[in-house]
Amino acid sequence: MRFAFVLGELGSGLRRNLAMVISIVLVTFISLTFVGAAGLLQLQINQMKGYWYDRVQVAVFLCVDNSTSPSCATGPVTDDQRDEIQTILESESFSEYVSTVEYESQDEALGHFQDQFANSPIVDSVTADQLPESFRVNLVDPEKYEVINEAFSSTPGVDVVSDQRELLERLFTYMNVASAIALTIAGVMLLCAVLLVATTIRLSAFSRRRETGIMRLVGASKAVIQLPFVLEGVIAAVVGGLLATGTLWAVAHFALNGVLAEMYPETAFISSTEVLLLAPLLIGLGGVLAGVSSLLTLRRYLRV
Amino acid sequence: MIRFDAVTKVYSNNSRPALDAVSLEVDRAEFVFLVGASGSGKSTFIRLVLKEDRVSRGAVYVAGQNVANIPSWRVPKLRRGIGVVFQDFRLLPNKTVFANVAFAMQVIGKSRAVIRETVPDVLQTVGLEGKNNRMPHELSGGEQQRVAIARAIVNKPGILLADEPTGNLDPTTSMGIMKVLDRINSNGTTVVMATHDDDIVNTMRKRVVELRNGSVVRDDAQGIYIGETEVLAQ
Repeated sequence: MRFAFVLGELGSGLRRNLAMVISIVLVTFISLTFVGAAGLLQLQINQMKGYWYDRVQVAVFLCVDNSTSPSCATGPVTDDQRDEIQTILESESFSEYVSTVEYESQDEALGHFQDQFANSPIVDSVTADQLPESFRVNLVDPEKYEVINEAFSSTPGVDVVSDQRELLERLFTYMNVASAIALTIAGVMLLCAVLLVATTIRLSAFSRRRETGIMRLVGASKAVIQLPFVLEGVIAAVVGGLLATGTLWAVAHFALNGVLAEMYPETAFISSTEVLLLAPLLIGLGGVLAGVSSLLTLRRYLRV
Repeated sequence: MIRFDAVTKVYSNNSRPALDAVSLEVDRAEFVFLVGASGSGKSTFIRLVLKEDRVSRGAVYVAGQNVANIPSWRVPKLRRGIGVVFQDFRLLPNKTVFANVAFAMQVIGKSRAVIRETVPDVLQTVGLEGKNNRMPHELSGGEQQRVAIARAIVNKPGILLADEPTGNLDPTTSMGIMKVLDRINSNGTTVVMATHDDDIVNTMRKRVVELRNGSVVRDDAQGIYIGETEVLAQ
């Protein structure tokens, strides 16, 4: 009965305050969408790290005709130099860092280049002798790139040692910046949402002060008096959270997995089911913020 | 049932006390008029019984319990044992007579079946049988006050506090209300009624406690009251 009563009060509160409730829904919707976007970006970064860190290699580029680094002073790499580098890479002392070593000749390099830039007119102007031959080194621990760099960067015949991870790191930096921006916007919007909930609950408590006054006099418990108001804010915020989840799911499903995945088949995108992992977090965040905000407001504006 | 033990209530530091060392005892099933001019402390008395305010000094006992010692989460329980009626009725304008009375039972969790059974009985007690589905604005002032009384007693409180319940009503209607209060009192409910309506006090011949500037100046069994208008006329 008391439950039914609280629900009835809640219903009348929602109806009476419809415009304000809708604005809470929309503001929490937008803010939680930004929170979720930041979360998805982080998930995407982790996903790509997991995917690429297994595949990224340290490339030890060997000298070609026009290399400028000091270790290439003697001109293009010689067969002896190449053999020696390979021997060191495959030696016992490096086996704890290096898992595999592959040699890529200039012709193979051209082949990869042509694959990668298949649609670009640049392909026709590049020839094999412009591309350096290289050793592709897979590390046991990708973080230990410095070991290879120190060992080989000044070895005669080696032009540069390059860590593919660096390219990825740069990409991840951009994505981190984007997610920080999303989080900042989310923070501002969430603050708006909290203040809006407080104002709405305050108005709602004011418009029903006659009822609450009587409830107080006839001995209704604090919970029965306050719960309809708190639920009003929480339900609006949870609806906002559900809308945010729906939007993020649609973005992941149609934009990421639909359009982008087709454009970049090589890239591992997060799946739309991962959005659903984020959903309880978003909805919970919205609900808790609204609940706390309305409780604090009630403590100030509703005597019980 | 209600005991005031040297109770002083000061609302703000530099004003004179609203109640000044008031000691008073109201027994179970007693009917007491609390009389005095506006500002004499009648409403403060009622607020202190309900623990709406804190005493400045002294102690208020309700049903043997010092209200100062009741933790805030138990205050609703205290208030369930006290019915209150006001001069301005305080009905919910968008609810029917039945719903207004039922509201007091709903909010403390009474079942629908109990409500359906109890409310018509109480409406009969206050003389409103057959008006279940009227809206408050369709009722006269006296009938609205009867609804308010029904709401105050529907949970069977041991105490009924009435703060100027006839203040907005004409003398004939007021007497009707007094009959209702008297009937409730004769069923064993302690009634404390604050008023400055001397006609009513003098007709009812009940105990009269007169407050003036926050102090009890008179406490007569079967007393009378001469209001200021009469005093001035003399």
